[in-house]
Amino acid sequence: MPVPILKQGDVLIVSLQSELADDELERLSSKLSDRVGSDRVTGVVIDVAALDVMDSYATRMFRTMAQVTQLRGATTVMVGIQPDVAVAMVQMGLDLEGAMTALDLEDGLDVLRRDHERSGV
Amino acid sequence: MATTFPTTPLELLDDPEALTAFWQIYDRNFDRIADHLMKVLSNHAEFASLIDALPPDQMLEQRTAGRERLRAAVVDGHWSQYWNYLHDEGVTYARSGLGFSSWFAAVTAFREPFIEAALDELDITSDMFRRVVLASQAFTDTAMATLGSAYLDEKQRVIEEQQDALRELATPILSLRESLLILPLVGVVDSERARQITDDLLHAVTRDRARVVVVDITGVPAVDSMVANHLIQTTDAARMMGATIVVSGISTENAQTLVRIGVDPNRLNTIADLRGAIEWANQLLDT
Repeated sequence: MPVPILKQGDVLIVSLQSELADDELERLSSKLSDRVGSDRVTGVVIDVAALDVMDSYATRMFRTMAQVTQLRGATTVMVGIQPDVAVAMVQMGLDLEGAMTALDLEDGLDVLRRDHERSGV
Repeated sequence: MATTFPTTPLELLDDPEALTAFWQIYDRNFDRIADHLMKVLSNHAEFASLIDALPPDQMLEQRTAGRERLRAAVVDGHWSQYWNYLHDEGVTYARSGLGFSSWFAAVTAFREPFIEAALDELDITSDMFRRVVLASQAFTDTAMATLGSAYLDEKQRVIEEQQDALRELATPILSLRESLLILPLVGVVDSERARQITDDLLHAVTRDRARVVVVDITGVPAVDSMVANHLIQTTDAARMMGATIVVSGISTENAQTLVRIGVDPNRLNTIADLRGAIEWANQLLDT
């Protein structure tokens, strides 16, 4: 079941409804990168509010996704990380290493807008 | 909470014959002993009001029931029933505010007439008299131990209740403006409380959509490595969620302690005073 990717203005929005298997994450990453190019967007919001758990693979995957889309010309923001997930990740020593995060979709769009303005593009 | 009744004095007795004799003497002289008990307790500061509050027919009912309960214990062996009842009574009296030491007056008021009754029936030089006295002591000792354990159980329950209440009081999370929360920490922070604080704070971030939380620790007397690590963890987790935590109110002493124990200042956003922290937060939010 492919994950729907929505477009809103200059931003792609992905809302994960459930945990994705490793291969599904990889496919999502490729698809996002493709869409960044074809839709000519400058930002990506990945909403993980529905996820109860994020393991080390998923964390690495999201980090990679952000870096890839960056190279393709878009900034990625991850939103909706739940408190328990955040605490678990910190305790396991997982780090998103500079990938941008925000509280929720609204905040995420706000962050992207300001980032876009700042970069002067 | 399971309570094992200290029936040891009675178990140690190992003299069923004397125990039965004790019961028989008590039973035969029941009214006399009960009347004496009532008279003494009516003049006792703490028991008096409890006795006055009891209507006479209820008092008679309780007396009769108590007598039957003890009979069932000694004669039919229903001791656990007896001690369970006494334990529950103890809890009730503890709650009503009756001091534990008052029960010693009740025991004395029982012993005096009982010994007199035993003297009436037995020869003071006889071995049976000695054994009956020991049996009566084992009984009253066990009764006091049971009441004592009931009082302790009740106190423990109150302490736990208060601890829960304290924990809830202890972490008010206040909204200063949109997207800004303040959490003034006061008092001793143990690891259970620290865990609770982290939980409450992060959930408040989600619920109130706060992008900055100012945690003021002016009221925390001693910040040790456990507290520092919790603050760092919370800061990291909040950052992951898209929020920033600023810690204000670290005293010079606490700062020196933290450096000494090796806490990396770069892992925390800190500022000396609350006002500075709020100004910083406002700037961050208004950018």
